Amino acid sequence: MLELRQLTRRFGDLTALDGVSFSVAPGEICGFVGRNGAGKTTAMRIVLGLLEPHAGDVRWNGAPVDGTARRRFGYMPEERGLYPKMRVLSHLTYLARLHGMDKPAADRAAQAWVERLGVAERGEDRIEQLSLGNQQRVQLGAALVHDPQMLILDEPFSGLDPIGVDALAAVIRARAAEGVPVLFSSHQLELVERICQSVAIIDGGRIIAAGPVAQLRALEQRRPLVRVAVDGDAAAERLARLPGVAERERSGGRSVLALDEGVDSDAVLDAARRIGSVTHFELVRPTLAEIFREVVPG
Amino acid sequence: MSGMSSWRVIRLVAGREIAVRVRERSFLISSALSLVLIAGVTLLPLLMNSDDGLAVVAATDQRGAQVAESAARGPAGDQRIEVRRLTAEEARRSLAAQDVEAAVSARGITFQESPGDELVARLQEAHRRLAVADALGAAGLGPRQAQAALSPEPLSIVVVEPQDPQADARAGMAFIAVLVLYVQLLTFGFFVASGVVEEKASRVVELLLAAVKPRDLLAGKLLGIGALGLAQLVVIAGVGLAAASASGRLDIDSDVLYAIGLAGVWFILGYAFYASLFACAGALVPRQEELQSVTTPLTLMILIAFFLAFGVLQDPDGTLARVSAFIPPLAPMTLPPRIALGEATAVEVIGGVLVTLAAIAALVPLAARIYSGALLGTRTRVKLRDAWQGSRR
Repeated sequence: MLELRQLTRRFGDLTALDGVSFSVAPGEICGFVGRNGAGKTTAMRIVLGLLEPHAGDVRWNGAPVDGTARRRFGYMPEERGLYPKMRVLSHLTYLARLHGMDKPAADRAAQAWVERLGVAERGEDRIEQLSLGNQQRVQLGAALVHDPQMLILDEPFSGLDPIGVDALAAVIRARAAEGVPVLFSSHQLELVERICQSVAIIDGGRIIAAGPVAQLRALEQRRPLVRVAVDGDAAAERLARLPGVAERERSGGRSVLALDEGVDSDAVLDAARRIGSVTHFELVRPTLAEIFREVVPG
Repeated sequence: MSGMSSWRVIRLVAGREIAVRVRERSFLISSALSLVLIAGVTLLPLLMNSDDGLAVVAATDQRGAQVAESAARGPAGDQRIEVRRLTAEEARRSLAAQDVEAAVSARGITFQESPGDELVARLQEAHRRLAVADALGAAGLGPRQAQAALSPEPLSIVVVEPQDPQADARAGMAFIAVLVLYVQLLTFGFFVASGVVEEKASRVVELLLAAVKPRDLLAGKLLGIGALGLAQLVVIAGVGLAAASASGRLDIDSDVLYAIGLAGVWFILGYAFYASLFACAGALVPRQEELQSVTTPLTLMILIAFFLAFGVLQDPDGTLARVSAFIPPLAPMTLPPRIALGEATAVEVIGGVLVTLAAIAALVPLAARIYSGALLGTRTRVKLRDAWQGSRR
């Protein structure tokens, strides 16, 4: 169980984190979501001890996190990087040993991971000789090679092709299934929605929503969303001005409307019919993207 | 982390530095250059002087043969003289082919291009001796009396302050030691700086710092590269000694080994001092291209120490030599020649070492702080003040 408690961090006059608290339970995959500069990387760096917080602390399994605990963390920094001149296997072995594994175990783990990540035939190549995609895989291996008890991945999906995304998602799920808490940041909300059980949404250094995805949805469900398609822009315009609704988005004659509390969707459908011909009407489960748009002020 | 595991990390980091670097082209080239340099400096004078040992002189008539043989028998200088009986025509050809250096006859000495001073002096001396013997014989002295008159008991020689017969060789050793120290400090200091930048530029540093403390990373890097520098120094010393003893210019005695040991010790001290600074310099910049600008003050400092060391070689007992022994940035280069030339007192040697050690002890924690404060600034150059205040804090 990883807990961030009231983390505050300033850089000069800028407050990058302002009382950030949330936790990731064993086996839980938590998506860390926010715009660029919202404080995701800063929070992760504090968890890893790369930065000191000015206030607050990080706890691991109920105790303050220390170097010994952190050596069992696996990290993938947003700024990827390995020694360009080192060979894949010896690089992974080296990192595993820095994390405390003995030589034979590190060798075995490095070999196992190059096989699992599909770069086994590249084991004796230098990092700089690999394609970008393969470098990414080795980078993931670097986060996993020492059998970490906690995974912290900063934008792990960025730059991956769809096959890479699926492979990484599978690896993350497998680790979580073994009880490892996973915290990863992403701005690809559909991905987060697909993989995560919980999210923490950060904006301007503050957590503005955190919890299981289902719970966030329920929260949003108090303002149900409907997707309506009517003929013509003028009709859509009139639809948006109906009392008791707020237009969330509109494209090609389709509008997504949020209904105020107590507004009945049947009444909205009737009103829409009076405006024009309705070709589509559905109640939608809000996506994470919609929740995000709802909670993060534009 | 306990002290034990810190040491484990330091060993791992140092091991990687050594394993990666011994395969690197820049290291192999610098090693090869150093070896060529040292062999060259040691052997070059030998090659240039190799003809000086023997002078072949052609004698083209009876008198010429007497003069040349007398010169060859006379007090030996640096040159041995070999006499060849040739006809005038043969002598002319041999001179042109440079098979002989001079041709002697009753009429005089012939050289092809430039007369050799020592050879001329010895032939003239032999000529004079023969002429005096002839005159004494003409004046009625028997050959034995004439011989006695020509070869009086030599004056005895007393030297009040005898010079070390190997003084020149020692000065040469000291010069080479200074040169090698200069090259080693500069080369391996730069290896440290560029190694630090490599980790920043490739961004691998963030991954490393998530696992190890910056202090341990720095210590491992300094230790690994330093061990490599010391090993290279030992190889250079070995090659230098082999070359010097092959040239016959230096007897390898305990004094020489002592001087080499000193160079090793001063490499360690100088390296510890300068390499920590080089590591800081490297930590301040995000790219190799910017390394030059931050390391310039350091390379300048080493260059100044290098030039001052030449001053010490000229005047190993002067004020410069005495004072600079106690100035840490200078001592690693100015004290060894003074020690090698036998001018340093035990107090100075121990004092110089202690002062330098104290400076290192004070410097390393400061360097570690700047290093760890600047490491994560991978986008732009980090100001020294910001590094000091620390990006972690």
